[in-house]
Amino acid sequence: MNKLGRGQRDKVQQFMLITGASEKVAIQVLKASDWQFEGAFDIFYSHPHLKSVADTRHIEELYNRYKDPYADMILADGITLLCNDIQVDPQDIVMLVISWHMKAATMCEFSKQEFVGGLQSMGIDSLEKFRERIPFLRAELRDELKFREIYNFAFGWAKEKGQKSLALDTAIGMWQLLFAEKQWPLEDHWCQFLQARHNKAISRDTWSQLLEFSRTIDPGLINYDPEGAWPYLIDEFVEYLNENGKGKTSEWNYTK
Amino acid sequence: MAMSQRSTIDFNQGWQFMQNGITKLKNILEGTPETQFSSEEHIMLYTTIYNMCTQKPPHDYSQQLYDKYKESFQEYITSTVLPSLKEKHDEFMLRELVKRWQNHKVMVRWLSRFFCYLDRYFIARRSLPALQEVGLTCFRNLVYQDANGQVRDAVISLIDQEREGEQIDRALLKNVLDIFVEIGMGLMDCYENDFEDAMLRDTAAYYSRKASNWIVDDSCPDYMMKAESCLKREKERVSHYLHSSSETKLLEKVQHELLFVYATQLLEKEHSGCHALLRDDKVDDLSRMYRLFSKIPRGLDPVANIFKQHVTAEGTALVKQAEDAVSSKKVDKKDVIGLQEQIFVRKVIELHDKFMAYVNDCFLNHTLFHKALKDAFEVFCNKGVAGSSSAELLATFCDNILKKGGSEKLSDEAIEETLEKVVKLLAYISDKDLFAEFYRKKLARRLLFDKSANDDHERSILTKLKQQCGGQFTSKMEGMVTDLTLARENQTHFEEYLAHNSNASPGIDLTVTVLTTGFWPSYKSFDLNLPSEMVKCVEVFREFYQTKTKHRKLTWIYSLGTCNINGKFESKAIELVVTTYQAAALLLFNASDKLSYHEIMAQLNLSDEDVVRLLHSLSCAKYKILNKEPSTKTISPTDVFEFNGKFTDKMRRIKIPLPPVDEKKKVIEDVDKDRRYAIDASIVRIMKSRKVLGYQQLVMECVEQLGRMFKPDVKAIKKRIEDLITRDYLERDKDNPNLFKYLA
Repeated sequence: MNKLGRGQRDKVQQFMLITGASEKVAIQVLKASDWQFEGAFDIFYSHPHLKSVADTRHIEELYNRYKDPYADMILADGITLLCNDIQVDPQDIVMLVISWHMKAATMCEFSKQEFVGGLQSMGIDSLEKFRERIPFLRAELRDELKFREIYNFAFGWAKEKGQKSLALDTAIGMWQLLFAEKQWPLEDHWCQFLQARHNKAISRDTWSQLLEFSRTIDPGLINYDPEGAWPYLIDEFVEYLNENGKGKTSEWNYTK
Repeated sequence: MAMSQRSTIDFNQGWQFMQNGITKLKNILEGTPETQFSSEEHIMLYTTIYNMCTQKPPHDYSQQLYDKYKESFQEYITSTVLPSLKEKHDEFMLRELVKRWQNHKVMVRWLSRFFCYLDRYFIARRSLPALQEVGLTCFRNLVYQDANGQVRDAVISLIDQEREGEQIDRALLKNVLDIFVEIGMGLMDCYENDFEDAMLRDTAAYYSRKASNWIVDDSCPDYMMKAESCLKREKERVSHYLHSSSETKLLEKVQHELLFVYATQLLEKEHSGCHALLRDDKVDDLSRMYRLFSKIPRGLDPVANIFKQHVTAEGTALVKQAEDAVSSKKVDKKDVIGLQEQIFVRKVIELHDKFMAYVNDCFLNHTLFHKALKDAFEVFCNKGVAGSSSAELLATFCDNILKKGGSEKLSDEAIEETLEKVVKLLAYISDKDLFAEFYRKKLARRLLFDKSANDDHERSILTKLKQQCGGQFTSKMEGMVTDLTLARENQTHFEEYLAHNSNASPGIDLTVTVLTTGFWPSYKSFDLNLPSEMVKCVEVFREFYQTKTKHRKLTWIYSLGTCNINGKFESKAIELVVTTYQAAALLLFNASDKLSYHEIMAQLNLSDEDVVRLLHSLSCAKYKILNKEPSTKTISPTDVFEFNGKFTDKMRRIKIPLPPVDEKKKVIEDVDKDRRYAIDASIVRIMKSRKVLGYQQLVMECVEQLGRMFKPDVKAIKKRIEDLITRDYLERDKDNPNLFKYLA
């Protein structure tokens, strides 16, 4: 530490605060990334062994704060309290990101393992650190690969336990949440179409393929291949758009 | 040193001697009176050359003699031959040329015999052209070179005259053309370059002119006849005087100009082209068309195409005819396949026979036409008529032939033939599985209600179906037929059992047919409240069946049973042959005089549909066994029924039919369900063996695999794929969503 310049020392401190890494690790990582935070975070989070054992005791204390009195789990009330503490709206999409880190099995509840494991992997062991981490977590949505993982994770998380498919209403809600981040022009039409024509649960395959569709197919549907392996429902969606005028989004009435 | 005994021959002396011989030869050729060469003269001439060549140098005169040999020809040709040719023209010139050529050949032959010794050593040693060659080359260089153009033109002109119908001297032409061949000395290039090329060009031009007139003036058949006879004559021409190697090229040129160039115009001639010929059944002209067009490259493709269009149009017209006939009938019996549909199938069979004959006779069984026929039939054979699919129509047609009292009254042979043809038509139908299901349903009816006219025919058609569609197609049906045979045996055992067990008495004559569930179509088995008389029967049989086998469960299908019941009417007793349902209803009236609709339904425990049907058959149809209040033509839930004691009929025994429920919807549902399973199985089979496969490929293989039974809808396949993904049989590749992987 003594050999570092003042600016560098500051960075080390900050890094340690945010990630919970030890001084030694912080210096190592910052050196490796040429004293750039972005790169440093990348390296740090992709190398799990660098993460310090974020104090398990503290995490357990947090867990106990939120856990349900009658079950060894964090349930709806606990989650509301958590959201309050970290100053995040429960409907905020960052909760999805957090759930993803925790590998939560289903929405609105965290098991002890999920909570503790999740905080550990995020390197959080205090509410302060948690709050500070929020922007970073939010930023993860902008990463294409991470977004896809989170999106696909959302299916399993949002559906009912024991069901194979996702109820339509829940699916639509999730899509609206997720596409608020991504801005897909056909999102509204998709939801309208589903409500008008489909009215059944959404399969995992359809869910994941929709993301590909939104990413690769032009809103004017020019590069859509009807002979392709798109799920049946997406084919129907395209037909629906064509029936109603070639997917010219500008001619549509938005009912938001 | 031994000296040669011979005296040296001086060159000039020796040559003079030879020259005399040569002159003598020329005279002979010219026709001047001369004696033939005697053997001594021959030997002397030969020996002179021999000696002059074997003398020691400088008296070895081989080279000079070789040169002189050549000069002899040159001198003769220049002085005598050429002048004689130059003064003649046309045919006369040709004759002269032939004569001169023959002479020249003779001259070469003789002189080379005299000078033969040169061939042996001198020529070989110096690698010089042989005497024969030298001699012929002289003629070629001095005569042929200049004259061949004229000769060629003269010959071609004669050929054209012959084409116009004039008589020409064929032997002369043959001789002239032989010159072209022989002068090539082993190669055909003189013939080909100096004569054949021009002749072919001229031929092309000639026929091009003719064709351009004929195509305007003549009808297609007339044109074709002319073309055929031209080809015939050109072929003869070759055999008369052209070299055989010209045949292919010549005919090809003629075909090109007459047929290839005008093919489309010819075929599409408005009132006499291919369409018209097909329409008017001009079998001879069509055969000719086939013969001619098969010779030009891809010539048959448009013909086959027109044939296909024609057959498709005819077939589609039949469909429309049938549709119109059906819709113009009274809308009385909807969904029942009637006479018009029967006629339609008959007509399709006739159409098939007719056009198959065309394919066999006119088109000589060519695959292109077989395919055209197949494609055409596939188009219209898959169109239904009046809401009934073609699969159903065919199945009904078979039913009518095979059942007793069917609408077709035919001899055994005719039946066999017809069945054979129907099976052939099945090949064109894409929904074969639908046909199988309809057929099975109707077969069941025939077998169970003893309506099958002839067991042999039943088995025979199954054999034919098996041959065409495979064993799986017919296995259930065969099972059904076998079941009946077994059932009869079983009944005999039952009767024996009854005879030996006096306490096991059903009280009524009972016949039971036991069916193997897997073979037969599925039937609803409602829990009909059996009349008490029948309950005992069921019991007794159940006990008997237990003695035969303990591992099987009996499910009773009362809807298929028949009953003979005695009706004691006021005027006389009449035996009624009815279904079990009807019998159960009638027996209710033994206990009550009047019964309402609801009472009947409650007591029988049947559905509305069944109750309405059976009450209708007993009170609103031909035989009114029950009186209905109000006496309207239809059954309503508020009706009340009463036994009609006053009923009578001149017969002692009458059959009261219960019209069958329409099976169509159920059949289609069942088939759709089976198809879903079949598609699933096919996808899994394919993916299991390929492990990884692209979407397009998977769909293609699936369609191919299932094609024997039906044409799967691509959307349906897609849905099944997605279902299999949900059931974790397959997954999409992470990087390429168009690729699927099998999950073990």
